[in-house]
Amino acid sequence: MMPEKQAEAKPTAKYRSQFRIYVDIMSVIQRESNEAKPTRILYGANLSHDRLVRYLEELKTLGVIQETGTDEKIYSLTQKGIEFMNNFKRVESFASAFGFKI
Amino acid sequence: MEFVAFVIAIAIANEALKGYKISKEKTLLYLNLSFVLIGAGFLVDGLSSLIVFLAGARRGFLYPFAVGYTINFLAQVIAYGLLVYAYVHQARGIGPSPALVAAVPFLFFERNAFTELILIFLLVYIATQTGINYSMNKGTNSMLVFGAFVSLVIAHVFFLIFTVAPIFYPFAHIAQLCGFLLLLAMLLRVNRPT
Repeated sequence: MMPEKQAEAKPTAKYRSQFRIYVDIMSVIQRESNEAKPTRILYGANLSHDRLVRYLEELKTLGVIQETGTDEKIYSLTQKGIEFMNNFKRVESFASAFGFKI
Repeated sequence: MEFVAFVIAIAIANEALKGYKISKEKTLLYLNLSFVLIGAGFLVDGLSSLIVFLAGARRGFLYPFAVGYTINFLAQVIAYGLLVYAYVHQARGIGPSPALVAAVPFLFFERNAFTELILIFLLVYIATQTGINYSMNKGTNSMLVFGAFVSLVIAHVFFLIFTVAPIFYPFAHIAQLCGFLLLLAMLLRVNRPT
């Protein structure tokens, strides 16, 4: 499960919470047939290099993604990550039915 | 019918709570609290109706009916008020407001035009928001939620008319049941295996 530490929502339309960035990164990995290079994730999740490195480390610590590949780094979702994304999609679909964004 | 609505409301509340645990999104917590209140209101109303029914609706024994309706009405006002707040909160991105305080009723009342108008006002706002949501994403789940709240508006309009024309009472209950069945359909669709 994701850590409880989250920044409070601010009244800016483009603000992305830490949780949302985690989900965006994991969505990019899942979209890339569960094997994504850092560049793909960087563009897909719209992050700077420094922030990407930091978030990938945090996601690895949480055990939802893993690093594979020898010559080049490749990231994939772990079983825990796949289960999390399935649950998240269900919740997103439920919230969206009421018109709530998460 | 109240017991069916109670079970569906608690199922919706449970799903919203699961969503809140995953995302920590406050609007889902409001949704959870809202449907817990709706469920509790229907349970109390259903139980009070059952007591009156079992007692044979003897003269002077209709007091539990008024108590049940009053509690159900207050629960619904707070619940739909919370939902309205959740939509406003999301639209404006505002921070938490002072805690909602439920007024303790000094008098218990039976179904009347004024209470129904309050509920209709709140429900029309929620139905409009869910209608806008449906018009934007055209999803089946959004359509079911929109349909559910439209049914609940119709139900309370029938309850309002019932205060002058008792024939509308069963139609109001049927419309209310339809609303909760649409919510159940949405819940089953969301939880179907992928």
